[in-house]
Amino acid sequence: MRKVLIVLSIAVLLMTVAIAAGTIKIGVAFPMTGNIAAFGEMTLQGVKIAQTLYPDVLGKKIELVVADNRSDKTEAANVVSRLIDYNHVAAIIGEIASSHSLAGGAIAEQKHIPMLSPASTNPLVTQGKHYIFRACFIDPFQGHVAAVFAYKNLKARTAVVFTDVVQDYSVGLSNFFIKDFVAKGGKVFREFYQSGDQDFSAQLTDALAKSPDVLYVPGYYPEIALMARQARQLGYTGPILAGDGAEAPQLIKIGGSAVNGVYYTSHFNASHPFTSVGKQFVAKYESIYKASPSALAALGFDSYLLLRDAIKRANSVDPAKIAEALRNTKNFEGATGYITIDKYGNTIKSAVVNEVKNGKFTYVTTINP
Amino acid sequence: MKRISVRTNFILTTIFVIGSGFFLLFADNTFGDYWSRIITLIAIYAIMAVSYTLVNGVTGIFSLGHAGFIAVGAYTAALLTLPIQQKAMSFFIEPLIWPLNSIQIGFLPATIIGGIVAAFFAFIVGYPSLRLTGDYFAIATLAFGEIIRIVIQNSYSITNGALGLKGIPPYTTVWWSWGWLLVTIIVIGSLKFSSYGRALRALSEDTVAARAMGINVFKHQLTAFVVSGFFAGIGGALYAHWLTTIDPRPTSLGIMLTFYVLIMIVLGGLGSISGAVLGAIFFAIAAQWLRIVESPMNFFGITIPGIPGMSMLIFATVFILIMLFWRRGVMGKKELSWQYLYNLFLKKVGDQD
Repeated sequence: MRKVLIVLSIAVLLMTVAIAAGTIKIGVAFPMTGNIAAFGEMTLQGVKIAQTLYPDVLGKKIELVVADNRSDKTEAANVVSRLIDYNHVAAIIGEIASSHSLAGGAIAEQKHIPMLSPASTNPLVTQGKHYIFRACFIDPFQGHVAAVFAYKNLKARTAVVFTDVVQDYSVGLSNFFIKDFVAKGGKVFREFYQSGDQDFSAQLTDALAKSPDVLYVPGYYPEIALMARQARQLGYTGPILAGDGAEAPQLIKIGGSAVNGVYYTSHFNASHPFTSVGKQFVAKYESIYKASPSALAALGFDSYLLLRDAIKRANSVDPAKIAEALRNTKNFEGATGYITIDKYGNTIKSAVVNEVKNGKFTYVTTINP
Repeated sequence: MKRISVRTNFILTTIFVIGSGFFLLFADNTFGDYWSRIITLIAIYAIMAVSYTLVNGVTGIFSLGHAGFIAVGAYTAALLTLPIQQKAMSFFIEPLIWPLNSIQIGFLPATIIGGIVAAFFAFIVGYPSLRLTGDYFAIATLAFGEIIRIVIQNSYSITNGALGLKGIPPYTTVWWSWGWLLVTIIVIGSLKFSSYGRALRALSEDTVAARAMGINVFKHQLTAFVVSGFFAGIGGALYAHWLTTIDPRPTSLGIMLTFYVLIMIVLGGLGSISGAVLGAIFFAIAAQWLRIVESPMNFFGITIPGIPGMSMLIFATVFILIMLFWRRGVMGKKELSWQYLYNLFLKKVGDQD
């Protein structure tokens, strides 16, 4: 009996049949399980919507090969290697977290397979690489946008910056903001915390003693929500500014009315798409998922379209030609705006600033590069 | 019962090592880069597991700080081999301190220095905490492992803090990793079967009895801890040059890594070197091979969409089954020796042990 079971289970595993020939394979390396699975899930929704709307290129169907990196750095490198050597993909969409993109990007670069990250904003990801690209803006630009918005729109002169010392994203963004804000003539004080902290009263009391015009918290949503609550309890009524890590429905769930007046820089606002492609994306997304799309979904959507456009212009599935075409992307109309990719593989496009108003993410303004 | 002579044993082992070498050469050239990477990873995991089993299995003290020493080795070696230009680019928050910012040395010396620095840290951690026993020792080492990680996370001018290091040259090949694994097995194996190793095994069974026999418990445990730290550092150095980027997150060089290695040695059998290697092989291969169940399947004409996370479910089930049916791991405390294989397959019924 046991032998029969073993033989059966092996037979099942071996029966996996590779589906179809004559397709163009694109690998998708996302965290589908593990601690940042939610990010992978949201981005994949966007990629799938793009595939439903534009299923083919060069007369062939595009086949997505989804590989889960388990939110783990070692696996992030392994899946890229697997997609290239085992699945023979022409290009890869991935990965989400910057640290994963660094690990996977090293392999793609070595193998000369173009890899397009939807959401890794750390400047190191594309630095010195010829085959790595991204669909989002980079942290220096996001920091710049936040500084401009704080100085011009919020008329802030004194800012307290809260840095999450565990997150490279937060450390980088804080530094870029401070550089720009100080250059404009603002004054900056710093406070530190780390992911998982629950109590910020010590840092907040210290910060509020400096009577700041704005609190800049470039971290992730759980801490931002808690910090907003505690700041309001301590009597702070001014604006709180954050980065794109703030955008998640949980921000409002945890923060309640305290997060009203939280501004954050982002890639996209579903109620305010700039382009006709963006409108098409929002309509399709809402009809399928019965909810409004997140910025990550929009970035996933754009990644697919950018890659498809590059394959079309290259008129070939040769990875080197796709990479060359990606690098020459000019004013491409995506859901998150008009996208230009520079020679370093970074994206130049405008950023939006959203505000939490009555429990909704509301569009405030657009800041162009 | 028939004993295999020392000479036969030596000849068989040599043939086995050379045979494995040819197999690796064959595998490296024919299975493609993806499997080459996994084969390299197996050896790296095995080095971490064998060094861990010296402390947790052979010596019988339960340490949870292994990832800390791996991290020290990884960072030390990576900082020594990173190209100077790459260092200048990566350290954009605070520049790297002198003299690290102006040196770049070869892979072999960097790996050895990584091991030595890790061994030094093992000494510093082991010296105070080995005065504790049992659970208290486990908690102390867990804390020290975390302290190492948090120091790395906050020393921006040495380790680049939370940003981590990137662009580490991909030096680790199948040959480097398996070569170092051979060295690790030879050193820890001969340690285990020397008089020194017998003393370790004695005190793992009963510390009081061992002390009564005149064994200096503290000195023996500390030496085992430092040797284990050295090879953990070597494993870390190879890992850094395999992954090409490292950072101090709990999920990359933190407590999760300790648990992975712990799973390997418990699966293989606590205290068995060959068990640790088997555990590492199983852990690395199963994680990749089981990806098949996550891809869409065509099953008797019905297409089943891939379910992410399915492989981890099967993985966990296999662990539970192994722990149910082989409570002491696949190998127990035994070693996979020629004698063991002989007894297993060729022993005639009625032979006496």
